[in-house]
Amino acid sequence: MVVQCQVEVLYFAKSAEITGIRSETISVPQEIRALQLWNEIEARHPGLADVRNQVIFAVRQEYVELGDQLLQLQSGDEIAIIPPISGG
Amino acid sequence: GEDLNEVEENSKDVIKFTSEKLSIDEVSQLVISPLCGAVSLFVGTTRNNFEGKKVISLEYEAYLPMAENEIRKICSDIRQKWPVKHIAVFHRLGSVPVSEASIIIAVSSAHRAESLQAVSYAIDTLKAKVPIWKK
Repeated sequence: MVVQCQVEVLYFAKSAEITGIRSETISVPQEIRALQLWNEIEARHPGLADVRNQVIFAVRQEYVELGDQLLQLQSGDEIAIIPPISGG
Repeated sequence: GEDLNEVEENSKDVIKFTSEKLSIDEVSQLVISPLCGAVSLFVGTTRNNFEGKKVISLEYEAYLPMAENEIRKICSDIRQKWPVKHIAVFHRLGSVPVSEASIIIAVSSAHRAESLQAVSYAIDTLKAKVPIWKK
């Protein structure tokens, strides 16, 4: 049985417009590859497919590429979907 | 005169996000020190054009706790690379009209070379790494 945990997903900018929410808690496997985590989120909000190539993913406030990296998540972890950065 | 060893001053990293208009005077006052002969500043302001279009104002948003942490990392990097005294980074959020400042970075150091380099590094790295964006 795959151990699940509850993580909080924060949506910003375009992704917040697409999902219609700023945040939600979702249940995902504790051990999951970054791209799979994205797919779980996209499954809940299919419109996010439109921005998949433009968003930046952050897990526990560290940038994560949408790729193979194996994540070890814990309940309460914060996932953020942010647009390309343009500060300064 | 005062014994140099008696002038103790803890080095500060001051990071602030605000929707209020930024003040160059306020930010530079935060880093001025009797130990320093140089204060270097970068002020980023809203330009009136972008990709051929007219701009009236830019609106900034940030993923705040991470943005602050990323700026702290930049301050830490700066201190590893150069002997600077105080660092202040102020970023405005919300609407920033043309010619107003969206960011002010101030760094003080004993001599000018290090604060000039640190400021340049700070703005370049902030633009590359800190989760702030224009809406």
